[in-house]
Amino acid sequence: MTRLAIGVNLRRCIGCNTCALACKMQNNVPDGMLWNRVLTEGCEQFDGAEGTYPHLTRTYLPLACQHCENPACERVCPTGATYKDDKGRVEIDYDKCIGCRMCMAACPYNARTFNWNEPVRATGAAYGDARVPERGRGVMEKCTLCKERTDEGEEPLCVRCCPADARVFGDLDDPNSAVSQLRRDGRAEVLLEEKGTRPQVFYVR
Amino acid sequence: MTSLMKNPLVVGSGVLALVGAGVYAYQLMFGLGVTGMNNSTSWGLYLTCFMFFVGLSAGGLIVASSASIFGIKKYKAVALPAVILSLTCICCAGVCVLVDLGGIQRIWRMVTGLNFMSPLAWDMIVITCYLVINLLYLYFMCSKKADPAKVAVVSRFALPVAILVHSVTAWIFGLEVAREAWHTAILAPIFVASALDSGLALLVLALFGLRSRGVFQTADELITSLAGLLCTCIAVDAYFIGCEILTTAYNGTEGGMAVIDTLLFGGTAPFFWFEVICGLAVPFCLLVFAKNRRNMKVVGVASALVVAGVFCKRCWLMFTGFAVPNIVGANGITLGTTAAQAGGAADMWALMGVYAPTVPEVMLTVGIFALGVCAFTVLCQKLLRK
Repeated sequence: MTRLAIGVNLRRCIGCNTCALACKMQNNVPDGMLWNRVLTEGCEQFDGAEGTYPHLTRTYLPLACQHCENPACERVCPTGATYKDDKGRVEIDYDKCIGCRMCMAACPYNARTFNWNEPVRATGAAYGDARVPERGRGVMEKCTLCKERTDEGEEPLCVRCCPADARVFGDLDDPNSAVSQLRRDGRAEVLLEEKGTRPQVFYVR
Repeated sequence: MTSLMKNPLVVGSGVLALVGAGVYAYQLMFGLGVTGMNNSTSWGLYLTCFMFFVGLSAGGLIVASSASIFGIKKYKAVALPAVILSLTCICCAGVCVLVDLGGIQRIWRMVTGLNFMSPLAWDMIVITCYLVINLLYLYFMCSKKADPAKVAVVSRFALPVAILVHSVTAWIFGLEVAREAWHTAILAPIFVASALDSGLALLVLALFGLRSRGVFQTADELITSLAGLLCTCIAVDAYFIGCEILTTAYNGTEGGMAVIDTLLFGGTAPFFWFEVICGLAVPFCLLVFAKNRRNMKVVGVASALVVAGVFCKRCWLMFTGFAVPNIVGANGITLGTTAAQAGGAADMWALMGVYAPTVPEVMLTVGIFALGVCAFTVLCQKLLRK
């Protein structure tokens, strides 16, 4: 088995949003939405801080699909459009999606985005990787773990582009992979562990 | 047919329903972006009304079938209008789900590749069964060879399916681990209880309507008896809600308090307090006295309050679930709406769940209600006047 995963070292993350934009570029994500976004934790302003002066901290949290081992979205999808593939990624078959948005209500991470309208792009043209399929109106989409790249042994573009080397990609079922080594770090944790979704994306604080 | 066309209620509601159909065509052309729904609040008025209609449909069928199962003879008198009401409401509920789908052109996937783990799949199956049972019921009561034995058999299936259809609707929400406000085992009992009180109250209102138009006469004693049943159902509903609020609030957990803050003091508080005061407390206090139950005006007011209260309950149930995301941080969630597409970064984000229905969304919803009124009036005129 293969369980592709991403580990994010939050101690290295500088909140530059390169991963968010790399994702948008690679996957042709239309205007008004992102598959991968960077949150500033515990405050209402991006680049804000948490706490009271002088005891302030600032932590960035890049957030996208967590590619859960026990995905809540997959169970509730009435047509099987959302599925767990043989490489351990959570994927969407756009031809099967009826736009009921059960998965959106089921995802604890708000990782999914819906095409409420006809997708538009400020550039007036598609800018994504040519291998990435088009999505139309009324279809759900989200991080695919750069399916088209990782199928061919490349890293996801967010990992490739991270200037701070905060992101690590690999197979959790290979104990010697860099991602498995990082996962064994005592500080590694997953988001909303209590929901029982067992995310494959994890964070080191 | 000509008599129907002279009925202002049929004509008026028919026109509104046609307007709704026009708005639906508009929505099909431009997508669900014409509604107020977005990535933070991914279900809105349509599915709120879906819950509401499924609930309203219960009362009728439960009264009709219990008349037969438990041998409550006096309820048999209203079994026919009750089943017609139930049928109309479940059809409206179905319409609500269909207009909410973003990819209705691919709905055949529900037949070819159904995932039996999905509560929406269960719902489709159970609602179809429920619809068939309603139609059979109506057929056996109205056909020339009306046969009480067949009605009795159908009613034995109708009661459990009626309870199941409301439970499954609750599970669409209650099984979602992501939404603290929905994820509770008592959600299905709450749905059944509020289905019983809102459905009964609507039946009482419908019987008043039919009586005032001279279509169908109901004895005051029967309404009094139904009002007593309604009073009991209101009490059960209130009890379940009380249990849920106490369990959510008691330990002061982070997730629980987020729900309580939204529900009691935040965005959904007006709906919650309207329901508790005007939809539960006031009608219960009115109907608990036998003297009031004999006063048809009081029964009418109480019934209308219960229906309005349960509508508000559907609103607070739905939107409390979306109000606070599990992972809060700036800038929040990308909305994906028309404004987000056009306005750039300023209109693209929401820290918390945001939602307001748009004019087309409200018009389409009004159209669905009008369709229900129109269908109910026509069916009653055709089937009750003999």
